[in-house]
Amino acid sequence: MADKMSCYVLADPNKCTGCKACELACFAEHNKKTNDVGYTVGTVTVQVTPKLYLTRTETYCMPIQCKHCEDAPCLNACKKHAIYRDENGQVIVDEEKCIGCKDCVMACPFGAISILPLSRKGAPLLQKDREVVKAASKCDLCKGIEGGPTCVRVCPNEALRLVDMNEEQLNKSIKTAQSLYDSRLS
Amino acid sequence: MMRVVEIDKNICTGCQECTKVCPAYAIEGNPGEPQTINVEKCVMCGQCVQKCKSYVSIVTHGYDAYNKVKKERGIPDCVNEPLFAAHNVTHIGEVKKALADPTKVVMASAAPAVRTGLAEEFGYKLGTLSNGKMAAAFRALGFDFIYDVNFAADLTIMEEGSELIQRVTTGKGKLPMFTSCCPAWVTFMERNYPDLTDHLSSCKSPQQMQGAVQKTFGADVNKLKKKDIFNVSVMPCTCKEYECSREEMNASGERDIDVVITTRELAWLIKDAGIDFKKLPEEDFDSPLGGFTGAAEIFGVTGGVMEAALRTGYELITKKSIPAVEIPSVRGGEGFRSADIQVGDLTLRVGVVSGLKHVVQVLEDLKAGKMNDYHIIEVMTCPVGCVSGGGQPKLLMDTDRETAYKNRTGATYKMDEALPLRKSHDNPEIKKIYKEFLTAPLGEKSHHLLHTHYKKGRAKTIND
Repeated sequence: MADKMSCYVLADPNKCTGCKACELACFAEHNKKTNDVGYTVGTVTVQVTPKLYLTRTETYCMPIQCKHCEDAPCLNACKKHAIYRDENGQVIVDEEKCIGCKDCVMACPFGAISILPLSRKGAPLLQKDREVVKAASKCDLCKGIEGGPTCVRVCPNEALRLVDMNEEQLNKSIKTAQSLYDSRLS
Repeated sequence: MMRVVEIDKNICTGCQECTKVCPAYAIEGNPGEPQTINVEKCVMCGQCVQKCKSYVSIVTHGYDAYNKVKKERGIPDCVNEPLFAAHNVTHIGEVKKALADPTKVVMASAAPAVRTGLAEEFGYKLGTLSNGKMAAAFRALGFDFIYDVNFAADLTIMEEGSELIQRVTTGKGKLPMFTSCCPAWVTFMERNYPDLTDHLSSCKSPQQMQGAVQKTFGADVNKLKKKDIFNVSVMPCTCKEYECSREEMNASGERDIDVVITTRELAWLIKDAGIDFKKLPEEDFDSPLGGFTGAAEIFGVTGGVMEAALRTGYELITKKSIPAVEIPSVRGGEGFRSADIQVGDLTLRVGVVSGLKHVVQVLEDLKAGKMNDYHIIEVMTCPVGCVSGGGQPKLLMDTDRETAYKNRTGATYKMDEALPLRKSHDNPEIKKIYKEFLTAPLGEKSHHLLHTHYKKGRAKTIND
């Protein structure tokens, strides 16, 4: 049981240019160990599978990623118990347990989950019928990755930020209190 | 029309990050819409290729798109790396065809910066030097002769150094003299400042010198017909393919360099041939057009051509050994820097431009008569010289860029330090080619094979 409130990454559509640096970096960091991805493009031997999704309409663009809901519909919908809440309150997909049933995709109100191919040791992971194994792919807030969340770090336009709900609430309440106090003086 | 750098309109998201790095303001379009390259302005440096992160995605473009794009671009099947909107047109098909042709004698030569980046594509740390493995890779790929553009870098110093001395001492030729190794810079100069092209050194780039001597002296010493020789040049640069295709680049009587591929494409060739790069031994280059000094290796970094020229120029002018081989005052990063170098009684005022956008102020100052005290100015288009070229391995994350540049630059200087010979005029193969073939720097043969002329009016563009 996590007694902390989870954090999540929020994008600012006014700053996002839609460059996909976040998607590529997300993939690269998450595949360093599992698929020998190095520093350069030539070290990649598998399909790019990000955990956040650049979303664009005619008027704006921004990446959409998991909000790590406190009452997580994806977690509640998963019949294989492949989605769990970790010690920090983050909602995590266990790719080994996931069977790609898509219930989480249907349950997520935000479109933050996609079912994408899995790769290991630089090659697609295959089933008995030679079909590629696919699993739910969504933001894990760079669990176990140093310097994460990577997307926040690499965005060239500082369009992404890590939202910590406790701090967010505290900062806003202080601002409100300050303005009320100031208006009392005037 | 020759295609060098392109933006795929089906993949471009219109983020315009590339426009922030394009030094020629050649990328046009509205935000959020696919961008197009204005070929009249583009200098083909490939910095947009390095920057672009808009990849062919299974989420956005579907499962079939990747293989379709890969096929369209002529990329080998075994390559499964991400493909991006901004890319350079590949020429590995021509290389593979030549290697498979028994009537062709295929000669390889690679630029100094290639060996600072190549290993990165095989999982090595940024800036891992792979000089010997690269030579072994060429041999394993079936190249008949493993020569080196580093040889021609030493040759460039002999010619360019002599040209500078001539301009300074005889008053013949314009000062300051600008270096001419970087084809994107030369293209920029021809197009935008045609009245100033007399300031460019008449020396061809090391690539073109290498091609010309491989098909003449190289043909002679190996008893080959020049028409049977196929010269493949590997470059950290996307613009070099354009340079080799310029109509005047046929001093040998044939096209001097037949085809250029980038560092990234050499990695594809190695993968395509099933060669295990990590298991390759350290091998040497072939003689007599593959030996080089530390002065040649530093051509790959900003200030390197200047430093190499000064090491030789000092000794040619003063007839004395240079007190310190390393000249830190010309080293540095992006921007414009200058230094005064004492060469005997002469004080040489030198300038180094790194990053093409910084040259505009220098040229405007030159037009305004404010650069008259300068003798020589080195110009490189890419941010920190060729190690940061458009054809080098592309970083997955721009947050690694500083480290990549620092490590590749560090590897270059480390190699220079480790080499027994660090001055171009000390290269025994350079002595040999002048003794047996070229006679003397700026001589008749040099003039014909190693020097060129520039367009006076608007340069021929890739659209002509």
